[in-house]
Amino acid sequence: MSFNAADLQGVLPAIILSVGALFLLTSEVFLRNVRPAVLGHAGGIPTSPAERVEAKLPPGAQGASPSAVTPPDRRYQAWVAAAFAALGLWASLAQLGDPAIAIFNGTAASDGFARVVAAVVCGSLLLSCLVAFGYLEALRATRGEFYALALFSASGMCLLGQATDLIVIFIALEVMSLAVYCLSAYLRRGNRPAEAAFKYFVLGSFASAIFLYGAALAYGATASTRLVDIAAALRGGGSGLLWAAAALLVVGFAFKVAAVPFHMWVPDVYDGAPAPVTGFMAAAVKVAAFATLVRILLGGFGDPVAALGAHGWQRLVVWLAGLTMVVGNLLAIPQRSVKRMLAYSSIAHAGYLLVAVAAMAGPLPRQDAIGGLLFYLASYGATVIGAFGVVAIIERKLALSGAGDDLSSWAGLSERHPALAAAMSLFMVSLAGIPPTAGFMAKLTVFRAAVSAELVPLAVLGVLTSVGGLYYYLRVVVYVYMMPTTKPDAVMGERLVAAGLALIGCAVLVVWMGVQPGAFASVAQNAVAVFSR
Amino acid sequence: MVGPVHYLVLAAILFALGAAGVVIRRNAIIVLMSIEIMLNAVNLSFLAFSRFPLVPVAPMQAGIYAGQVAVFFVIAVAAAEAAVGLAIVIAVFRSRTSVHVDEFDTLKL
Amino acid sequence: MDTDSAYLQPYLPILVLLLLAGVMCFAISILAGYLGPKRTFPIKETAFECGSPTTGDPHSRHSVKFYLVALLFIVFDIESVFIYPWGALLRDFAAQGLGWFAYLEMLSFMATLALGLVYVWRKGALEWS
Repeated sequence: MSFNAADLQGVLPAIILSVGALFLLTSEVFLRNVRPAVLGHAGGIPTSPAERVEAKLPPGAQGASPSAVTPPDRRYQAWVAAAFAALGLWASLAQLGDPAIAIFNGTAASDGFARVVAAVVCGSLLLSCLVAFGYLEALRATRGEFYALALFSASGMCLLGQATDLIVIFIALEVMSLAVYCLSAYLRRGNRPAEAAFKYFVLGSFASAIFLYGAALAYGATASTRLVDIAAALRGGGSGLLWAAAALLVVGFAFKVAAVPFHMWVPDVYDGAPAPVTGFMAAAVKVAAFATLVRILLGGFGDPVAALGAHGWQRLVVWLAGLTMVVGNLLAIPQRSVKRMLAYSSIAHAGYLLVAVAAMAGPLPRQDAIGGLLFYLASYGATVIGAFGVVAIIERKLALSGAGDDLSSWAGLSERHPALAAAMSLFMVSLAGIPPTAGFMAKLTVFRAAVSAELVPLAVLGVLTSVGGLYYYLRVVVYVYMMPTTKPDAVMGERLVAAGLALIGCAVLVVWMGVQPGAFASVAQNAVAVFSR
Repeated sequence: MVGPVHYLVLAAILFALGAAGVVIRRNAIIVLMSIEIMLNAVNLSFLAFSRFPLVPVAPMQAGIYAGQVAVFFVIAVAAAEAAVGLAIVIAVFRSRTSVHVDEFDTLKL
Repeated sequence: MDTDSAYLQPYLPILVLLLLAGVMCFAISILAGYLGPKRTFPIKETAFECGSPTTGDPHSRHSVKFYLVALLFIVFDIESVFIYPWGALLRDFAAQGLGWFAYLEMLSFMATLALGLVYVWRKGALEWS
């Protein structure tokens, strides 16, 4: 054990993101006109009763504090955060072709899989920062901690993608989760964000504890926390303790990826958190959680005999996937709030992703399934950030006028803002999985892998539930294009530069991945080779 | 003679108590404490497995210490988690003046 | 073990006596509470010659500043968990020629912590006002 430059180079994206976060935090406190010692603004917690009342007022009033101190201009922070995210993206893509190596004494790996995951995370972060910029500015809620927390959580996600030791996985998981808990409580407006954050925190920590107990049992069974040693122990015949560990690890991550029956927190949290944060959570947290699930299941329990055998995890994942697809889609149908609908849709998509995980159990379709999973995660990320970006633009308008989120506020959007309407329709079409978009190609690759893994009933169920999903996705499009406008207020034209940039980026990605999936598939191919043993 | 089974059973009981506390108790602070109990139960089983290895390990093998190192990290993470959790509870308390989970009903299914 | 129990044998009656006494005490006081007559009226309930009625809610709330200090204390206090084993093992590291490496590792750890302290300080969380 000694200093090794390759170790640091292996976690370069995570280092770049943490340095960015520390820079933002430090620059935040040295800005002028930050009122010291008053929790209300400096710490973000309203202390006096007056401020508490103020927090319940429409957000426009928040900046109008009695003191004449003007808040410092924090708009640079979004661009700095975006720049660091872009740097991380570049770093992960630049290393893409490098050979896979084990770093930090084998507790982490720097391989194609990790780099693709890091690239998707950094890309999601970049787009989310752009979406958040206009949103926070419009609500006068720009504070340095927001982007710093986003960067911290993204660095945790990058580490999650490459951790191959249960303890490192736990630490990275908590780095990601703790930052995301704070992000979802970020807007102090009424009861909703804090309550959502509390639910998220309790269920998230519960899941972390269950995961950790699984890790402890795995350690007991193998006297090591490395996934490699678990795999070795399995080859020598697994013990009951090890299977209990596998079940607990899977349940812990089933919470994180929002698989039914561990999905209860999702609608509340997605609804209560600010829309840009929700988009980031839906895209990036899912990527990291699924990446880790794959690492644990394939790296530790990947032996086909172990995966498919009498106690194999494949059956567990198949049941989770089936339940998640059906319940997610069914519960999405009655939703009137677009945000809640998207929350249930994210549960449904977790189900489709679990189909890919289930297909990985066998040795033969493993490569296709991993490639499909990564492609699906990337395409879902681009789509869902775009969708929540549009929601953010609508939501900030609604929040300023004090109204709630309902389908009716989307009526006639095409007349008021045709570009926004077109973008939203594109994202809905992609989420529904209709041909010229990324969503279709993603579903196709995943279901194809499921069929070649002889999981035909699961693939059929996936197709059927996707057809059921058409209803609630296309209902949004119907409202946007065919319903008459009920609310005359137009979306603000100002401050759509950054969000517009992000939406254009998302839309281009969605169409590009739908029309030319080959380019992305070849990138994913780099990642696949890691697990082909 | 107290052996690994005693510690493991105690850890399992503590973990179950913590899990039950998260599900049953209505006070947000108690829920936070229950989560801490769960994490510390895991710590106990890590240490028990480290002290009484179930599989044969060489005396100086790294695996023996992995469990003890894990405990350090879990302690640190649990502290961070407690800090964030308490901050969130304070935020909820400020908006509702209550720490009873039953009353957190603004968001409904 | 045998000698121990032989040594303790004479004290067994005392233990029994203690137990009996305890049981009697509890039994009598509980029975008295159940069986005795109870006539309460407002004046009897008031504090008489032994204090004054309490004013205010006994469950008064603590200021948030206490929580803030507690949070900061937890977060910074826990770091000693990493520093202590490092200190205990530094000589071993030095013996392997890794002394400077270990020293720099801890230095970077402390630098990160110091950055956190600067953040807390500048945010004004350490000031009582």
